[in-house]
Amino acid sequence: MKKIILVAALFSTLLFAQTKEKVEVPYVPFPIKMGEGFDAIQTHCLMCHSFGYITNQGRQSKEFWHKKVVKMVVHFKAPMDEKAVQETTDYLFEHYGNGKLK
Amino acid sequence: MERREFFKKAAVVAGAAAVGTSTAKAGVTEQPIDDRQVSPIAFPEKRPLIMYSDRPPLLETPRDVFTSALTPNDQFFVRWHMPDIPTHIDPDTFTISVNGLVDKEMKISLNDLKTDFEQVEVTAVLQCGGNSRSAFKPIAGGIQWGSGAMGCARWKGVRLRDVLDRAGLHKDAVWVGFNGSEKSAYYETPEFIRELELSELDDHVILAYEMNGEDLPYLNGYPLRLVIPGYYSDSWIKMLSNITVTNKYRKLFFMDVAYRVPDNETESETPEKRFSKTKPIKKMNVKSIIGYPTKDSIITHKSHVVIRGVAWDSGHGIKDVMVSVDGGKTWEKALLDDGKQGRYGYRAFRYTFKPTEFGKVTLMSKAISKLGEEQPFAKDIKWNHGGYKYNGIDEVTVEVV
Repeated sequence: MKKIILVAALFSTLLFAQTKEKVEVPYVPFPIKMGEGFDAIQTHCLMCHSFGYITNQGRQSKEFWHKKVVKMVVHFKAPMDEKAVQETTDYLFEHYGNGKLK
Repeated sequence: MERREFFKKAAVVAGAAAVGTSTAKAGVTEQPIDDRQVSPIAFPEKRPLIMYSDRPPLLETPRDVFTSALTPNDQFFVRWHMPDIPTHIDPDTFTISVNGLVDKEMKISLNDLKTDFEQVEVTAVLQCGGNSRSAFKPIAGGIQWGSGAMGCARWKGVRLRDVLDRAGLHKDAVWVGFNGSEKSAYYETPEFIRELELSELDDHVILAYEMNGEDLPYLNGYPLRLVIPGYYSDSWIKMLSNITVTNKYRKLFFMDVAYRVPDNETESETPEKRFSKTKPIKKMNVKSIIGYPTKDSIITHKSHVVIRGVAWDSGHGIKDVMVSVDGGKTWEKALLDDGKQGRYGYRAFRYTFKPTEFGKVTLMSKAISKLGEEQPFAKDIKWNHGGYKYNGIDEVTVEVV
């Protein structure tokens, strides 16, 4: 009898585990290059998405990164002024650029 | 896990997420990236998968999972758009709102959905419109998915039509908008709302609470998601919380700017000359993928190898899958499964082959739909700025030893 109760208890725990407890999505520290402009990246990019979004794009042109930053401002309404757009673009091109302007 | 060990593992993970340096000639589409490693970090209710981001969570299913018609829940890909997903939803108090141009606005509980409506099931492929995006050259901005931003499941729930009928549609109802519980960091960021025309939503469209016989996994949209068989996943709203019926199309970022392709016959353009008129990606094209062998498989000379994979389209059904074991020179029909999952699901295929030569051999699969639509070679797929709808003939190169 004892055994049956134990099994039943275990079963119900499994059954409701998904919904009764808060789900913890792990934090993953993505390696990101340090350097001038990093503060801007941390302030303006990380609010909405991990650095995985940046590193996954691979090395790209200055124009590519500029368009990405502008997209975040125009479409996703990131609160960034001209200076912030410039700083983030420069950082991205410096550390994740392919050397080409276009 | 020790903190230091965690960071060490995380570094490995993120390294895997970096895009392979492209030596490709500009403008020529190649095979999608196929060398990403599974992350050592498992997300809730998931086995370790290929990981691109933790916030929002982006997880890809490894190739070797695609050998059967259904994709296990714990290996099913994950894609969210916003950083803030509720970390707890109480199924006892959860409700979905139906409002707008209806006779009576409703809030329906999960229990009511399960007990007060006809329960229906459909097997359907869920594929990101940007699946295989890494095939496009030059880079099409966005997550550089390999081939695993997709899966196929048996979904159970209630018909959208039944829910709308219960609320009573007004005569002038034309559009229906769906949104879920994910939230952006900034109030001004557009919400992830999808808007579809009522006339295009048939009885196969369901509000699903179950996936492969289990509750939806949290990261796949627990407790309720929209299922639109044949359509790319951008319209399959997760954690569905609201349905609004309107007579006017609302301007929406995720409808008007994202998930669109050039509105021309080949749905293509060039980076230098973008095509200004665009249309939503909507219905999936015909595609197949080899699940076994993979590039890491050890294939022994003169052994009996069974090549396995899956093929699908938007619901016309798969007529044939052709397999080549000589790099595309000759093709033979693969054996298809019984098709009992229905026309919206994967058709699993298999092909037996006995390698008689040593060295590298390139295996290919090409699906043909009942409409006669056929997968093109990767190199013949033309570029579009969003990197959507890649469906090139799949290739796996293995070494026979």
